[in-house]
Amino acid sequence: MMIQVKNLWHIYEGRKEALRGVNFEMGREIVALVGPNGSGKTTLAKHLNGLLKPTRGDVIIDGMNTKEHSVAELSKLVGYVFQNPEHMFFEESIFKEVAFGPKNLGLSPEEIEERVKWALKKVNLKGYEERTPYSLSGGEKQRLAIACVLSMKPKYLILDEPTTGLDERSAESVKEIIKSLYEEGHGILFITHEMDLVLELAQRVVLLYKGEKVFDGPTDEFFSIELRNYGLDKPELLRISFSIGTGFVRNVEEFIGRFLR
Amino acid sequence: MMYNFYIKRDSILHSLDPRVKLTGTAAAVIILLLFNSPEVLIPLFFLTMLLIYLLGKITLREQYRVLRPLFPILIITIVVWAFVYDPWYRGALIGVAYGLRLLTFGLIAFALLMTTTQRDLILGFIKLKMPYEYGLTMTIALRYIPTLYMLALNIMDAQKARGWEMEKGNIFVRIKKMSAVLVPLLIASIKTAHELSIALESRGFGARRKRTFLHTIEMKKRDYIALFLTGITIGIALYVRYGLGFGHIKLY
Repeated sequence: MMIQVKNLWHIYEGRKEALRGVNFEMGREIVALVGPNGSGKTTLAKHLNGLLKPTRGDVIIDGMNTKEHSVAELSKLVGYVFQNPEHMFFEESIFKEVAFGPKNLGLSPEEIEERVKWALKKVNLKGYEERTPYSLSGGEKQRLAIACVLSMKPKYLILDEPTTGLDERSAESVKEIIKSLYEEGHGILFITHEMDLVLELAQRVVLLYKGEKVFDGPTDEFFSIELRNYGLDKPELLRISFSIGTGFVRNVEEFIGRFLR
Repeated sequence: MMYNFYIKRDSILHSLDPRVKLTGTAAAVIILLLFNSPEVLIPLFFLTMLLIYLLGKITLREQYRVLRPLFPILIITIVVWAFVYDPWYRGALIGVAYGLRLLTFGLIAFALLMTTTQRDLILGFIKLKMPYEYGLTMTIALRYIPTLYMLALNIMDAQKARGWEMEKGNIFVRIKKMSAVLVPLLIASIKTAHELSIALESRGFGARRKRTFLHTIEMKKRDYIALFLTGITIGIALYVRYGLGFGHIKLY
């Protein structure tokens, strides 16, 4: 089980290179993809389910080269949750909305119903089946977007800024969903600008800068490099912890534990 | 994405006031409608091409490019006339003339769009007493075409990621499939329009009945000369058509 990106270049028509020779691999893990605006994060992510095809280089998902397979075929393996959930809702009921993906896969009605129930339960939207997608709150819409992709049972899940614009409680529930999906065996890659989210969730961080991969490694190492060079900064918690010498911590509880010891 | 036809050149047509060009366009359409005989319409088409090239510096290749989408209509016109008219070769000739008249209309409209910026065109309409709101509506509509196009592409990507395939199925299946893109697009458009209206109002749009413009247009000497020449041309066309009785044929 492996996503392999080999010497990936991407050039949008008439513009300069968006990705320049990126090499990257991921398996069953939680990876954060970070970098300033225009660094190529979304371009890289869109290669992982074949929405974009490499200008040069290869992207291979579990042995399938994206150049030889359609997005529909790859959607069984890689789920992609777009930044704006409203860009995908068009059915009159939430049940139908979540069933759209499995229907496209040509599954039996029983299988579809079972998957919809499972996906809605997973994102805590059980009982919402007959409501319309547009009647939901921002956080619920984001969870529904995840359910729409989950119902296709992909091995890998890509989330583009999953918590942007959400309030604390909604963001918290999206984080819980990500964690539990990882525990069930999914490989997860999320794009974000929020360093708190990286600190809390990511096992590994990939940093893109001007189309090149400038860092790829464990989260604690990531936070020890000079992030300001890339227009990023450490979360407050880490700045405090580093300056008083308690080192890398994931959350406040861990920090207090170390501090008291 | 072809939504703006303007080609920046240094020519007589480019330098004229948009009001004069709008008048000229209207005059050209009237002249075209005066005549129906192939002896006039066919040369008129080539004359129009030549004039656009000489006065507007729009090359024949550029003119051909905008006319190309209209060619099917030309062919259909010729074929239909050849079928319904006796003798058929006379019908075909009339078909050629009528088809070319249609293409000439196209040429004239494109000549206007290719030599006038959107801003000047709308300003021209406003100076001709069209309400400012309509002008703004036109500008916004044109401005948002590329934005909505990008949005549509983005929505299509989102649906593709859910296994949606436009290419599969017959025409009816495909039309039904389009709802997966059209519904989110429509909702996003309405939301954008609503937000835009709030933004406009919050920046004082409509606060005063009369408003000033940063960029204005003014009639110069050459504009009056062009207007005068347009008038003379219409006069000559009317004289040829009704005075001399030339250029109009009885079809039945």
